[in-house]
Amino acid sequence: MAEIKIENLHKEFGIGEDRVVALENVSFGIQGHIFVSIVGPSGCGKSTLLNILSGIETPSSGSVTITQDNHEAEPGYVFQAARLLPWRTVMDNLLFVQKDHNEETRERCQRYLEMVQLGDKGDKYPGELSGGMQQRVGIARAFSIEPDVLFMDEPFSHLDAITARSLRRELHEMWRQTRKTVLFVTHDVGEAVELSNRILVFAKGGRLEDDLQIDLPFPRDPSNEEVAVAKAQVLRKFEELDLIAT
Amino acid sequence: MTTLVTKAPVSETGWRRVLGSPKTARLLFPVAVLAVWYFIYYTIDSRIFPTPQDVLGFMWEEVTLTSGVRYSSVAENLYVQFGVSLMRLTIGFVVAMILGTIIGLAMGISKRADAFFHDWVMAVLAMPALVWALFLGLALGFGDLGPIIAVIAAGLPFVIINVREGVRNTPRELFDMARAFDVPQNKITRHVLLPSLMPFFFAALRYAYAIGWKGLVITEVFASDRGMGWTIKFWYDAHRAKGVIGYALFFIIFAMALEKLVFDPLAEKAFRWRPQVDALEMAEGDFGAVTQEGFLLQESQVEEAVPIESMEVESKDG
Repeated sequence: MAEIKIENLHKEFGIGEDRVVALENVSFGIQGHIFVSIVGPSGCGKSTLLNILSGIETPSSGSVTITQDNHEAEPGYVFQAARLLPWRTVMDNLLFVQKDHNEETRERCQRYLEMVQLGDKGDKYPGELSGGMQQRVGIARAFSIEPDVLFMDEPFSHLDAITARSLRRELHEMWRQTRKTVLFVTHDVGEAVELSNRILVFAKGGRLEDDLQIDLPFPRDPSNEEVAVAKAQVLRKFEELDLIAT
Repeated sequence: MTTLVTKAPVSETGWRRVLGSPKTARLLFPVAVLAVWYFIYYTIDSRIFPTPQDVLGFMWEEVTLTSGVRYSSVAENLYVQFGVSLMRLTIGFVVAMILGTIIGLAMGISKRADAFFHDWVMAVLAMPALVWALFLGLALGFGDLGPIIAVIAAGLPFVIINVREGVRNTPRELFDMARAFDVPQNKITRHVLLPSLMPFFFAALRYAYAIGWKGLVITEVFASDRGMGWTIKFWYDAHRAKGVIGYALFFIIFAMALEKLVFDPLAEKAFRWRPQVDALEMAEGDFGAVTQEGFLLQESQVEEAVPIESMEVESKDG
């Protein structure tokens, strides 16, 4: 079982008057097959948190442990932009991040491409695909290394509403089938309510303000009344915490 | 009784379409040039102005070695002169590429190296090829070394600047992606760094070649007793315009042929992943567009082309 443990995580940029606190003593834990969203306004440290989790940035203090059955876990990433190598084909983009290289690897990559409905696009270059398809490749790439945990940084924020909606559905189905632990960053409350079991609310200045459970059955249709009510509740919470700019 | 006459929609007939096509327009240009040429020939009273057939006749004699002209005391002809120039160009070009890539990489990676070389590169860039030609002639005499250095001096700054811009514009988000997925460094270098430098490297290649050619010919005019530039001057001294124009045409034909037969296929192979060929990018490689302005245009273009990831405030500096 995968486990993410974050203890007193603190991150500052700059010194003196230019000092900016990105994360202020954040602690939380995530365990098992769960979809957790981190929601907050821009500048609340969401991206910094993911950068620290992915090892691109180091924290000022505090600790992060990501384990799978007490071993070091292997994470997969989906970024805001697809971040594909434009000079490699779709299949080669998946192969680029693989640790092993044999016939089985290629078959596995092909399987995940098929999961995101791009089974026949393996020999295309990213430039030949639409934005939605590129992001699908990004998702397939993250799943293809069969990670223990998945980190996603607003993966649908660049897409149009209709494409984003169908991708959310696909992602959710993949999460259900593969039983991964997902940590999903978004600024879209509706998206968070639709996808997650649990929502961590961050405020400006990198404070963890609230930890909400959403106990509704999946799949959640955004037009469903219960889902709409839950979304309204979360938004009200935002207002209480004064997170919405007026 | 009234008759309604409806006109059939105007459909372009075959010959009309042929006349209106861009191909025809392109062919029309040399026809127009010839017309102007003949017009000048018949209106001005000049004993040295040749007709197109004079020039073509001269070129044919040079190609077939039937003119009987001996360039210098040794029996040298078009092919020998061309060979001399080509050898100088190749050596200078290779040196400029190697040296420029090393300095460009250093400038892109280290701020101190950038500060050290910056003014020097700008100074070399600002120096007219003519001054190089005169100076190298005085300093080194009429050997191979002067023209070779001229090729290096002309091409080097373009290689340096292009490679430096390439390093500065390496896609950070792709490196972050690769590092997040724990891809080994040598794989990142091969599959992310080098391919991202390729467009800049190709621009450098084309500039160094085109500008190097021009620098070489000028230097050969003033500081050499062999080569294409020298041969053009030979005909200038002989007051034979057909020789000057003829050799200039040889030069142009060769330069364009190398572009089309070597650089274009290479670029096509290297950039097959591009969805469509960027028109500006192509123009920049074309011979005519290689000017100081062309280079400046290219640099500003590069800055615009860098995709700025929407970063949050806190992740600005790391």
